[in-house]
Amino acid sequence: MTEEMTLLSANDEEIALVNEVGTEEPVPENESEYEGVIGLDVWTMIFTFCNLLLLFYFARKFLFKPVKKMIDSRQKEIDDLYDDAGKAKTEAEEFRAEYEVKLENATAESEEIMRRAVRNAQLKEEEILKQARDEAAKTLQRAEEQIDKERKQAMEDIKNDVSDVAIDIAKAVLDREITAKEHHALIDGFIEKLGE
Amino acid sequence: MNLSINGPKILWKIPVGDLFTITITETVLASCIVTWGLILACYFLGKNLKKRPDGKQVIVEKLVTMLYNMVEDTMGKHNMHFAPYIGALFLSSMFGSLISTLGFFRSSTADLSTTATWAIMTIVVVWASNIRENGLLSWLKSFTEPIFIMTPMNIISEFATPVSMAFRHFGNVLGGSVLMTLIYSALAILSSLVFGWLPGFLGEIPFLQVGIPAAFSLYFDFFSGAIQALVFCMLSMVYIGLANPPRDELGRTSYQAQKAAKKAAKEASNAS
Repeated sequence: MTEEMTLLSANDEEIALVNEVGTEEPVPENESEYEGVIGLDVWTMIFTFCNLLLLFYFARKFLFKPVKKMIDSRQKEIDDLYDDAGKAKTEAEEFRAEYEVKLENATAESEEIMRRAVRNAQLKEEEILKQARDEAAKTLQRAEEQIDKERKQAMEDIKNDVSDVAIDIAKAVLDREITAKEHHALIDGFIEKLGE
Repeated sequence: MNLSINGPKILWKIPVGDLFTITITETVLASCIVTWGLILACYFLGKNLKKRPDGKQVIVEKLVTMLYNMVEDTMGKHNMHFAPYIGALFLSSMFGSLISTLGFFRSSTADLSTTATWAIMTIVVVWASNIRENGLLSWLKSFTEPIFIMTPMNIISEFATPVSMAFRHFGNVLGGSVLMTLIYSALAILSSLVFGWLPGFLGEIPFLQVGIPAAFSLYFDFFSGAIQALVFCMLSMVYIGLANPPRDELGRTSYQAQKAAKKAAKEASNAS
């Protein structure tokens, strides 16, 4: 087995290191052509240049710019959200402080109202009691007057009744008709005795 | 046994009149396929982006963010407009190296023309930035610093930059493919020694070529391809970044600022 390492090169100017062990084989005419292993080819360079510029342009247009824009806009949205949340929090704190003050005031106020109400109630109570006492006194007085009057009335009635009874009794005692003159004299005398 | 390492095969020669002939090599074919494949991929990955991303979009966004972060770290916030160029360079380089693993194509980066073109593009951007930044004269003058004798050294180092970039990338990828070729043929020989006694065609099957090259390919093709793409882009970023320092608060380069200051001083002296 002959081992032959050849750095084949189409261009004459390129290095052609031929490490021969066996005999040199001529490169056949029909075999495909190669560029040099180490060499610059103008057309390859032009194509490479254009390809990189193309990729640069399209990658920027299709990928880098939209993705960057998306990331930035999302970041901005998140920042805004956090800012809003922070703002809302401070606002809430302010509200809380405000309400705490208000609540304290309200407590004091309610106590004041309560105290006033109690005092009013007390005043009213006294008034009502006084009224009731007056009323009771008046009623009592009226009742006494009524009683007095009724007693007098009763006295009158009894006087009349007694006079009738006395006449009847006298009739029975005398068992005779007396004249009207005698009659009246008798009654008057009786009443006078009764009135004593 | 014949083992030859060739440059890219010339596929077609298209004559344009009598003036010149366009040669289409394997490199050009691979490069075009990579470019259009990537453009299509970019198109499909970049459309229908949603505020609430699905799995595909998450990965794409992660990669794009990684690229932008890398550019921001090495070049600074003021150079973010270079990010798509760096991204395109990285993708071209990596997939240009990896396309050989498909088996039908030759790596576009295994051709010095390709890597040299990219290196020249980078260095042209660097030079243009330097001239815009410092003015042509002071840029040329900067070659004579710190002392005049250093001028040839400075010029050599200026040209060494793209040359070294181009050769590093090209050499690594070509070296990888050469090594893979050597490994394949070595395994073929070993296989015929070990299994050659098998009767008939069985003896001719290179059993050892199954599986073993995959492990080497993982390093020489995939790892090396990705690393070289990264190195090339890193160097490009560093050089371009150095040539584009941050502008002043008026958005002027130091050259423009100096010129404006000089003009103002002149006007002031004229007025007095």
